[in-house]
Amino acid sequence: MSAPTLREDLVELQVDSVTLAFGGLRALDDVSFTVEPGTVHALIGPNGAGKSSCFNVISGVYRATSGRVRFGDTELTGQRPHRLAKLGIGRAFQNTALSPHSTVLDNVMLGRHALTTGGFLSCGLRLPWTVRQERRHTERAVEICEFLGLGKVLHAPVAALSYGAAKRTDVARALAIEPTLLLLDEPAAGMNAVETAEMAATIRDLRDALGISILLVEHDMNLVMGIADRVTVLDFGKRIADGTPSEVQADPEVVKAYLGSGSEDA
Amino acid sequence: METTTLIPTGPPATRPRRSPARLVRAAAWIALAVLLAALPLYIDTAWLKAGQYMMIGAVGAIGLTLLTGQAGQLSLAHAFFLLVGATAYTVLAGPTDEERVIGLGLDPGLALMGAVLISALVGLAFAPVAGRLRGIYLGVASLSLVFLGLYFGQSLDSLTGGTSTGRTPATFELFGFPFSNGGPEIEVLGVPIRQAERIWYLFLVLTAIAFVLARGAVRGRVGRSWRAVRDNEAAATAMGVGVARAKAGAFAVSSAFAGLAGVMTVLWFDILKPDESEYGTYGINVSIAFLAMVIIGGLGSVPGAVVGALIVNGLPQALTLFSGDLGWFGETGGGGLTPILVSSFIYGAAIVVVVLFEPGGLAAIGRRLTGLFRARPREITREETS
Ligand SMILES: Nc1ncnc2c1ncn2[C@@H]1O[C@H](COP(=O)(O)OP(=O)(O)OP(=O)(O)O)[C@@H](O)[C@H]1O
Ligand SMILES: [Mg+2]
Repeated sequence: MSAPTLREDLVELQVDSVTLAFGGLRALDDVSFTVEPGTVHALIGPNGAGKSSCFNVISGVYRATSGRVRFGDTELTGQRPHRLAKLGIGRAFQNTALSPHSTVLDNVMLGRHALTTGGFLSCGLRLPWTVRQERRHTERAVEICEFLGLGKVLHAPVAALSYGAAKRTDVARALAIEPTLLLLDEPAAGMNAVETAEMAATIRDLRDALGISILLVEHDMNLVMGIADRVTVLDFGKRIADGTPSEVQADPEVVKAYLGSGSEDA
Repeated sequence: METTTLIPTGPPATRPRRSPARLVRAAAWIALAVLLAALPLYIDTAWLKAGQYMMIGAVGAIGLTLLTGQAGQLSLAHAFFLLVGATAYTVLAGPTDEERVIGLGLDPGLALMGAVLISALVGLAFAPVAGRLRGIYLGVASLSLVFLGLYFGQSLDSLTGGTSTGRTPATFELFGFPFSNGGPEIEVLGVPIRQAERIWYLFLVLTAIAFVLARGAVRGRVGRSWRAVRDNEAAATAMGVGVARAKAGAFAVSSAFAGLAGVMTVLWFDILKPDESEYGTYGINVSIAFLAMVIIGGLGSVPGAVVGALIVNGLPQALTLFSGDLGWFGETGGGGLTPILVSSFIYGAAIVVVVLFEPGGLAAIGRRLTGLFRARPREITREETS
């Protein structure tokens, strides 16, 4: 892997003894791991292991029962969820959560929300600075779309896109907030082999071109092993392994968890 | 995959902003403006009044299409906010020395702005409720405001004048120029510019302002945040949109538009008269008519809302005027077809047709038509941002 040019403003994400209980069920049980700056960190595990729950705790959708999450010096636990974008944490969703009737560009421009200002009156009156700001940020959004191979469908409604292109639009939108940490929930879910390979290449490009940290949840073992610098494995809410892809693959506990759950991915 | 690097770039290259399509569009707008400005010279007062009534509908419908179409909040409270705006204007601009009713004696121009602001604030006060409910539940909850309006309209007669007599609003004035038959005599091409003509121009300007503001908002940052909240709250949040705030903002903006439509309503009737039943000037029927306008026009489309208003508010007026000329509907009070009844049927049918065959409403049809004249597949960009 080529050495990425790291951005100086990168900080680490620390998940520190996080427990999340839904009634009696412990979706997360004392889970800790650290996403080092500029790495691709994968969070894997069989169905129901708690991966999405972990994402939701990090992004403030769920409140941890105990433990905490820190992003550099900032405590994320207890932050209002919409503040995360401003802190530089971008998120793409497991099932793409785009506005289907809006265009690709319009969807991606939403990612600029936290980086821009202006309310009803300044937008409505098209004040000069609003117009300039809009133009500047549109240029950047277009650039991001082109990077993700969406240059030809900028003005197409998302509903008209292929599944793969919609997924990439979702990633483009998360990138549009100029994140230093990108959270990707199953970026290759529902993709065919070709699209999955493309997505893997994209993720690698992102890390190399932007030098940002990426935390990804993924079922597809091959994808994970190909691109991750580090892997954390969850099973029934517990962390059962944490290490480099080859270490984790050789871990008997991991093998057991994946075989035991009958998952085909291992 | 392209190999562009994504390192943040310097200032963007300026793009040419003048294309033939833009020039055509600008020319069309100018032609429309000239036509509308010239109309009072050619059509009589009754038709001018009808046109003004359509503009009232347009302003209100623009507000509702922002709230319901763009931000996804179903509201049946629109008529209530018309009443708020109407009452606020009448009270703010009313003379201070009347015995029976309260007036603050403000300059009518200020009173108009104050009424819009008050409507927005009342809308904001309802936002905590609106933020917690969605879909049909919000629709029903918002309907309760119409009943609240009915009650207050009747009981607060020191503000509204009460149901029996109502109260007369102050003549609208701008910098001392009255929008009535008084003041300086003006004549253009032999046509005297009196109350009906003056109000026409006033409404034209107000409608244009409402239209431009709404369109700019829809295309900009605010509109995007509304659509995001409408389509997926979790995603909107992850992108940094404060959902509760965006919803409240949409409610306040929409109420402000409704409030302005309310001010226009009192100026049009030249009286503020609260309803005696839930069916009237500020009643359920009005809320439903506004909903009909935005559905026929295409939810979320600002030009669509205007065209919807022309149809829903225009038909009864036009039918009345035509029937006067042609003797269609026979004697009034005969229990037969009235213009209002006939136009209700027509726009009811229009809603059914739209919902069944073109859920995008007239806006979608319009896009398809303009798309015929355009080679580039650019019009889809207007899908939601027109
Ligand atoms: N809101 C909730 N209420 C109750 N239980 C929940 C909730 N969300 C998740 N769970 C439970 O927590 C456990 C972990 O779920 P989670 O969605 O985090 O798993 P996952 O690893 O993302 O699985 P998948 O691979 O299927 O996406 C599951 O047993 C799930 O049923
Ligand atoms: Mg999941």
